[in-house]
Amino acid sequence: MKCPRCVQVIHRGAAACPHCGFGISATDERYGSEDVVIRRLEDQAGLMRSSEREKVELAMDRFERRFPQMFFAVYTSRTEGRSDVRQFGFWLLNRAAFQDVELDRPNECGILLIIDPDAKSAGITWGYALDAYLTEEDTFLFLSRAHAYWVEGRYSEGVIRGLKQLSKVLTKRCRQAKFDPERFERRVAPPLAARQVAERIRAGHRKTIAEEVRS
Amino acid sequence: MKVVLPWLLLAVTSGAVTPVLTLPAWSKESREVVAEDGWFPGADLLAGSVEDQPDDATEVGPPTTAEMTEQLPSNQIPDEFLDAYFASRPETFLVDPQGLLGPSASRDRLTFLNLHSDDSQIDFHVYVFGTEQEIPGEVRDEEISERLFGEGRPSLTLFYYLGAPDRSEIFLSPGLTNAVSDAERRRMLQSSVLAAIERSDAITQLEAFCVQTSIRIYWIEKSAGLVDDEALAPRVKSEQVMVAEGPSKVAALKQMFNEFWWHWGAIVSVSLAGAVIALAAWWVACCRAKYRFPEFEVAPRLGGAHAAGVGAVIGFGSTTQSPSAQHSGVPDYFGGI
Repeated sequence: MKCPRCVQVIHRGAAACPHCGFGISATDERYGSEDVVIRRLEDQAGLMRSSEREKVELAMDRFERRFPQMFFAVYTSRTEGRSDVRQFGFWLLNRAAFQDVELDRPNECGILLIIDPDAKSAGITWGYALDAYLTEEDTFLFLSRAHAYWVEGRYSEGVIRGLKQLSKVLTKRCRQAKFDPERFERRVAPPLAARQVAERIRAGHRKTIAEEVRS
Repeated sequence: MKVVLPWLLLAVTSGAVTPVLTLPAWSKESREVVAEDGWFPGADLLAGSVEDQPDDATEVGPPTTAEMTEQLPSNQIPDEFLDAYFASRPETFLVDPQGLLGPSASRDRLTFLNLHSDDSQIDFHVYVFGTEQEIPGEVRDEEISERLFGEGRPSLTLFYYLGAPDRSEIFLSPGLTNAVSDAERRRMLQSSVLAAIERSDAITQLEAFCVQTSIRIYWIEKSAGLVDDEALAPRVKSEQVMVAEGPSKVAALKQMFNEFWWHWGAIVSVSLAGAVIALAAWWVACCRAKYRFPEFEVAPRLGGAHAAGVGAVIGFGSTTQSPSAQHSGVPDYFGGI
């Protein structure tokens, strides 16, 4: 887990980045603290034609059918290099109300792709429900698959290819989670307090002594 | 000198010790006793007077009439075997009434010739003669071919002289003489003789000769249009498929495939169809599968109510740099301002 601004590793449940003090309030000051209503495919930059948008939406539908808890959203905007993709994605996923997303798919289950054609950069942000299953490397694979298309200006094709790659990764993670859910739970479990750590150690000792006596 | 001296001494001493051997001689009494019996062995020699014999033994007189009419020893086939050879069309493919081949060799050759007859449209008859035997003059080859092999299956007749393959003769039945030229027949004979003379043993020479002739007969069949590849194919046994000639091999493989398909085709078809259906069903199931993740309690971070997962950011401004090179891991401490 990293800070959207300084990209330093932060601990689970941190109210603000211990390195740079970043928090939601910092982005609210820049982009606004009010919720914004958008669609899951919001092509503000006008990168896709209507037919291409339909294809991308079909790919999003397939993704949502495959993963009934989740949704995928794309936002493109021309910021002329004045914005940061990470911070904007963090802000948008917390403040956006997706009007064409079912209510049983909250933003915690969303994956948001931000494309900035002016800055020639793209980034991904995800909700808390995916913290256990997605990593930065997974999102990098997504972007790598799309990279060749985006370089040529074929944004919709890049999104569709990346979405396929993301589906593969999540399918694999879902199967793994069914067999070993504790492994993924440990990734997002809140940090133990010092007292809890001591209790766990003592419990382990007691368990060990009881096993020796039994044997 | 030191070496010669002991030998010289040994010779001198041995000469001195050895008694002098003398020839036996008649004593006067013994001679008289024997002479009284009227016979004196070796009298002529011992008397030293041998009468000269007249030297008329070297003179040979002119042949008499009896000598001139007397039959000289001949290499011709004995009369008692002529009927067995030339009276009628032979019932077996190996004709050896004289028993020149041993029982084992005869059985082997006959087996080979029978196999050849099974596989070929042209019979192959082998007449075995002695090395230097001559066929009587009254037996004419053309007459033999026409009389014995004019009817029935076409045949190739071989007169083979055991131990002398170069004396062999080949005759074709009248039905084949038009289809096979004399030059081709000569080439057949030459190749068979060459194959035979490479062997040293008379029996193995005959074996090599027959094998080579049988091979040439196959080509005669093809040139004469007596057989086609399709007709040969069903007659090829499965274990002979791998050693057969090229076209026959393909036909035999087709035959094997047909037999296999006849016996196992239904099972294989059903199995394949089942596998394809199962594969298609599995693919459809995978496509329509829904994946639900276990849900865990996650503490909010950085004040975000819904999300704080920060993924990768890449740049795609350069066509020459890879996505990894444009992977933006550099923090923007100034917030893009």
